[in-house]
Amino acid sequence: MVKERKFLKGPRLRDVSTYEFPGLKKALSLGPDRIIQQISDARLLGRGGAGFPTGTKWDLALQQQGERKYMICNADEGEPGTFKDRYLLEERPLKVLEGLMIGAYAVGATQGYIYIRGEYSEPIKIVREILEDAREEGILGEDIFGSGFDFDIKLVRGAGAYVCGDETSLINSIEGKRGISRIKPPYPIQEGLYGHPTVVNNVESLACAAEIIKQGAGEFAALGTDNSRGTKLISLSGDINISEVFEIEFGSCTLSEIIENLGGGVRRGRDPKFVIPGGLSTAALLPEELDCTYTYEGIESAGSSLGSGAIIVVGESRDLVDILLKVSRFYMDETCGTCFPCREGNKQINYMLSQHRNKKFSGQEVELIEDIGEVIAAAARCGLGQTSLSLINSIFNKFPEELIEEVIHVD
Amino acid sequence: MIKLTIDNTPVEVEKGTTLLEAARQVHINIPTLCYEENLSIYGGCRLCVVEVNERRQLMPACATEAEDGMEVKTHSPRVREVRQTLFELIIASHDISCELNCLTCTRQASCELRNVAEDIGINRMRLNPIYRGLDKDLSSYSVVREPNKCITCDRCIRKCEEVQGIGIFANSDRGPETTVTTFQDKGMGNVECTNCGQCIISCPTGALHEVYHMDSVWDALYNEEKHVIVQTAPAVRVAIAEPFGAEPGTVATGQLVAALRRLGFDGIFDTNFTADLTIMEEGTEVVERVSNNEHLPVLTSCSPGWIKFIEHFYPEHLKNLSTAKSPQQMFGALAKTYYAETMGVDLEDLVVVSIMPCTAKKFESKRPEMADDVDYVLTTREAAMMIKAAGINICDLEPEEYDNLMGVSTGAADIFGTSGGVMEAALRSAYYLITGEELEEIDIKPVRGLEGLKKAEVPINEDLTLKVGVAHGLSNAKKMMEMIADGEEFHFVEFMACPGGCIGGGGQPISAELTSTETLQRRMDGIYSIDSSKKLRQSHENPMVQKLYEEYLGKPGSHKAHKLLHTEYTPRGLS
Repeated sequence: MVKERKFLKGPRLRDVSTYEFPGLKKALSLGPDRIIQQISDARLLGRGGAGFPTGTKWDLALQQQGERKYMICNADEGEPGTFKDRYLLEERPLKVLEGLMIGAYAVGATQGYIYIRGEYSEPIKIVREILEDAREEGILGEDIFGSGFDFDIKLVRGAGAYVCGDETSLINSIEGKRGISRIKPPYPIQEGLYGHPTVVNNVESLACAAEIIKQGAGEFAALGTDNSRGTKLISLSGDINISEVFEIEFGSCTLSEIIENLGGGVRRGRDPKFVIPGGLSTAALLPEELDCTYTYEGIESAGSSLGSGAIIVVGESRDLVDILLKVSRFYMDETCGTCFPCREGNKQINYMLSQHRNKKFSGQEVELIEDIGEVIAAAARCGLGQTSLSLINSIFNKFPEELIEEVIHVD
Repeated sequence: MIKLTIDNTPVEVEKGTTLLEAARQVHINIPTLCYEENLSIYGGCRLCVVEVNERRQLMPACATEAEDGMEVKTHSPRVREVRQTLFELIIASHDISCELNCLTCTRQASCELRNVAEDIGINRMRLNPIYRGLDKDLSSYSVVREPNKCITCDRCIRKCEEVQGIGIFANSDRGPETTVTTFQDKGMGNVECTNCGQCIISCPTGALHEVYHMDSVWDALYNEEKHVIVQTAPAVRVAIAEPFGAEPGTVATGQLVAALRRLGFDGIFDTNFTADLTIMEEGTEVVERVSNNEHLPVLTSCSPGWIKFIEHFYPEHLKNLSTAKSPQQMFGALAKTYYAETMGVDLEDLVVVSIMPCTAKKFESKRPEMADDVDYVLTTREAAMMIKAAGINICDLEPEEYDNLMGVSTGAADIFGTSGGVMEAALRSAYYLITGEELEEIDIKPVRGLEGLKKAEVPINEDLTLKVGVAHGLSNAKKMMEMIADGEEFHFVEFMACPGGCIGGGGQPISAELTSTETLQRRMDGIYSIDSSKKLRQSHENPMVQKLYEEYLGKPGSHKAHKLLHTEYTPRGLS
């Protein structure tokens, strides 16, 4: 029986006046080097989807010289099926705030930003109030807890573009520019917001960092597997009986156990048609592929990736062409339009799919879709583009009988 | 130095060199579309992606710096496959159809897409173009935009912003709807566009082109009752042969005259004649204003792109502009007075055509104060199209002479076509006008060349050393204006809207093979070779200009000269 392992989850935590900020206080006494050592020892990987080691990111930022540095919390949670950051922002926002402040102190940033997706009106309200309270209580401002650390945070509300979850696009958006990705290098760590060294961390990564500093790196690193330490918040949704945010210790269960035990099984049926294990940018897994353990490496070996932790269960009655069309529509609407492969590729894919409602696809069409998928994956400018056809291609690969015309060979 | 291999060829490059530049060093051509020399890196088209160290993710060669030990494959099977499919996508976004097809396109002979198609050996097209149904922008007197042909490479945006320092273009909308447009979709004619046409030069497709006057000129030529005369600008003669396959810089003055005569023009004249005249008028004005210390520095007024620029961005300095009309408009004014009277041509029947390296000249000819003196303005490209359409290859013709009355010019007029030329020509004559003597060394080298900002001090006599400046390209013009505002002292400053001056004008042939710097250099060499081979090289020596003053205008700066040859400007400010 799968059970949650609550490292991040907990009772509602929104009252600045009663919260002690234990992680932050400890961090202020540790100093930057030892904070970063703790995060690195915990082997925390970024929880936004790309999985870059948080300790390394902070260390690189610390080493950057610059008259000022910025620390940004990426709360532009836009990956379809993902709502775990929303849980943290609504229920445990003080942990996020604390993580952001610890990071800022560690890398030497004096100004922070929380960039929240525009549709999250409730989290925006909550975070706004918390920032006001924190300023009043002297938690934000000058000489925080008498440590000499000065820091303040601006709240920025996104305008609804999925691509702004990409850190360089997010930075452009804060600067008031078009939400489009930047060419890397330079990486934000080198030249980010307004040209200054900038760290961008996901909400969950920051909450993890706050807990790691409070509880110690050992506590966190003891959880999970060698390559996947700690716990992960998952957003379980789709054709499932219980749709919710759960916290899973890495390696403690398989995907199918999550669906059966935590999700209460597939709605109106025994087996799903397929499962999307990490948000819309990850490849679909068939029922027989769900016995992989829930770790970065486990899901990769099954042929997909853990992504943002959004597990979307698709029931048997769903129409594949309809799903393909909706997924492609999403990427066509959300490509920023800067690089040609992503802009034109997603447009053409959507066009082709929309021409073929309720019909099977010919071999040539599938080949063309695969070719476009390869161009986008290999040549698009940012992560959005590169992964935009992962799901569509995997559905074609896994359901050839349903989607592809049979080739009749005449001898 | 960084050592790497590109397609198994060892290459050594400076740190900071991109893979694209490194490949070019060893003569490996990587196709590009959104890349352009002298513009910032955009990394949008992805055609230049290459394989680095066998990684799955391909890297854009334009935006990737060479690193030690890199193994780069520019044409591996995978790269070629990706490029082919990518090119299919680009072609589908280009809306090729019955209406929009290569045969009727303005860029039929200089299309970069076609070059790329050839370079990558495209042999398939599996995608349907998706029609975007965008309206043409016909708001400008000079430039037309056809957004359905636009592939959104943003080169025009960057050119306008980075090279010209203006930025009338921007992206609007998102994703596949992304378009290039002007502020609030107002159209190029309703924003701070200077009509310089540099965007046309940068466009890889036919999405930007001049407002064509060809049909009107054909009509006039076919109409027996009309007396059609034409003037050709200095920079046209070193570029007109390019569309016929000649190298940039090939001097084809006489062949151009011969071709125009075959086309049926009734008089073929040289804007150089009025360039010499401009020097007499402007030179006299400079001498007067310098001796009276009046509104200094004097700023030149022959580049209509520059004029619109200063009217928008520095209207407080309009009093510094020379009041002399540009050579094109001086010609127009004289054509409809001096020429018509001398030849006895009824003004009703007289049609005045210009051939200019310039798109802004189209706007200039429509300025109300110019009173329709010039009826139609053809760019060098349009002139070449007309000559071709008449079945003529300019390179095959024997050179002929301009008609006499307004066809004689000195070397000083020829160099008007290149940055620094107006200044050099003016200095040659200003020296004479002030001292009554001829300059010993008439080549004034410090004002020559492609350097964006040039300065020189020319000793005239014991009391006076003229301090002069030259700027070409409008971002350099902006820098020069800021230098002047900061108190740097000049007597006389030359401004040209286009990089290189008129030889790099927005109406010049577009070279698909050469980089812009190479093209400019060759055209510039051509211009100076004409000057140095002429017997008369100073404007005040022009016998036909002297005759014009004697018989018609009186002397430079006379009342009549002022009435015909000088103008005023409009403070436009920002919209």
